Amino acid sequence: MDDSATGTAQAEVSAVAAPASSASWASYGWAAVLMAACTLVAGVFRHSGLAEANIVMAFLVGVLVVAAWHGRGPSIFASFAGVLLFDVLFVPPFGSLGVSDLQYLIMFAVMLGVALLTSALTERIRRQAAAQLAMAAERDRLREAAHATRLQAEAERLRNALLSSMSHDLRTPLATIAGASSSLLELGSVQDEETRRTLLRTISDEASRLNHFVENLLQMTRLQAGGLVVHKEWQPVEEVIGSALGRMEAALAGRPVHTHVPEGLPMAPFDGVLVEQALVNLLDNAAKYTPAGTPVELSAAVDGGQMLLEVADHGPGIPDEEKGRVFEKFHRLRRPGATPQAGTGLGLAICQAIATAHGGRIWAEDRPGGGARFRLALPIEGSPPQFPADEEGA
Amino acid sequence: MSGAKPRVLIIEDEKPIRGFLSASLAGEGHQVVEAETGREGLAQARMWVPEIVILDLGLPDLDGLEVIRELREWSQAPIVILSAREQERDKVAALDAGADDYLTKPFGIRELLARVRVALRHAARGGAADATPVTIGDFTLDTGARRAFAGDHELHLTPIEYKLLTTLVRHAGKVLTHRFLLKEVWGPLRTDDVHCLRVFMAGLRQKIEVDPSHPRYLLTEQGVGYRFADE
Repeated sequence: MDDSATGTAQAEVSAVAAPASSASWASYGWAAVLMAACTLVAGVFRHSGLAEANIVMAFLVGVLVVAAWHGRGPSIFASFAGVLLFDVLFVPPFGSLGVSDLQYLIMFAVMLGVALLTSALTERIRRQAAAQLAMAAERDRLREAAHATRLQAEAERLRNALLSSMSHDLRTPLATIAGASSSLLELGSVQDEETRRTLLRTISDEASRLNHFVENLLQMTRLQAGGLVVHKEWQPVEEVIGSALGRMEAALAGRPVHTHVPEGLPMAPFDGVLVEQALVNLLDNAAKYTPAGTPVELSAAVDGGQMLLEVADHGPGIPDEEKGRVFEKFHRLRRPGATPQAGTGLGLAICQAIATAHGGRIWAEDRPGGGARFRLALPIEGSPPQFPADEEGA
Repeated sequence: MSGAKPRVLIIEDEKPIRGFLSASLAGEGHQVVEAETGREGLAQARMWVPEIVILDLGLPDLDGLEVIRELREWSQAPIVILSAREQERDKVAALDAGADDYLTKPFGIRELLARVRVALRHAARGGAADATPVTIGDFTLDTGARRAFAGDHELHLTPIEYKLLTTLVRHAGKVLTHRFLLKEVWGPLRTDDVHCLRVFMAGLRQKIEVDPSHPRYLLTEQGVGYRFADE
């Protein structure tokens, strides 16, 4: 698509530039035809009894037109032809060349002057137009090149991020597990109970970290492969909030969790498995990026035809310039002086993919009173299915 | 538990997983037999008649569903499935085909032992309705008197809610699929009406739970069904 657009622009450039570079024989032909037409008009003028000056005007117009349309060569040719035709056909003695008067020389000079000036002016305008078109084409080409470069750079950035993430998130836990388990195997008999337990705890923790990373990677791959089918079903939001909290119980241990779901909140259509995953990722995020023991709040509300789910924390918050970037794949919030987090840099990207798949959106804000809050908006469209009202009679 | 050592059959093709399951279950006082393929597992089951089967859904030779169906032709021993997270659909199909519970890999040994314990307990009761009151946490269900309590206040339940609740409590600790609950409570003609089930579950949650959005008893297994907490 882009290539053809450039091609067209170039074709236009050459179409405009061509007559300027070399007037073809066809241009001389057209000049002859035009001058013949002028001769006819001049003949009509003579018959009408118009003054000689008007007849000259007819030829002058011819020269002007030739100069404007066909360039310098044909217009010089037209000037000669005009003076010749005028001299032979309209100046006595008719039918012969006889420039007896100085005034005809002046007329020739004027015609030639008009021809040269007009053709030069036209040529300049054509060149400018051509240059502008060429410039536009070049700008298009540069813009496309820049776009391609940007895409490539983005792909490159993702690849690098994936590689560094892989090497860090796969290698670190693997190295830890290998080290701790070999220590237990070889030195276990001389280690005290507490050391052994610490090493075992490390192995267990690092294994679940590894699992977390692989699961996120697999899920992101599935989401990106377009294999994501959203099974929307009408359901109460407290159900998905409850199941997400149930899955995160261990990770949130020691944090007060407050839920705010107004009584009588209507049901909403969404994919329970996917929205649970989004909430789990948001809770996981809160657990990782805020100090241990600080509260986490989960709330739901209906606003303007949307179900709003919110996970708020009491952590340090997210700087404004990072609020959009946190949803990018492999982007990890780095704070000066803070240790790199154990996150995969994929959790929030998965949330965003889930929000988009639902026709909704997700964004980060400052929590009033400090901390960050993530809000997931899901559209409420249609109405829930009905079931027989006499249910209780069954 | 009971004096006799329960016999456990593990059907799993991954040797390391078989190894750690076997070691942990033996450590808990179970007799363990391992099988590497579905066919071997079925043969072992006929020979050895286990009291519980732990079955991996992704076997190289037979579909996990096939193994469940063949086992269910002659055995009522509880089956606990091991599945990967992306096998969501297979998991529900396996439960509907007669499996009793599932664990998503990777799982901790504590979860596994809890599932095995619940499955064995239900098998021992034979699924028969029990007239003795059941107490779990602050919740009490007295089927003999047809009364239920949350803390010290009595729950006022509609007939459907009561039926739903007794079904859940009878299988406490065990995941029940939407289809199973619909069949038990509404009969075999309404097994696809998940929306209806959700509406009644929401009503029950409002009556039983202190915070319905952070439930203590009525737990949701997204995409699968519900589980009543067993402790």
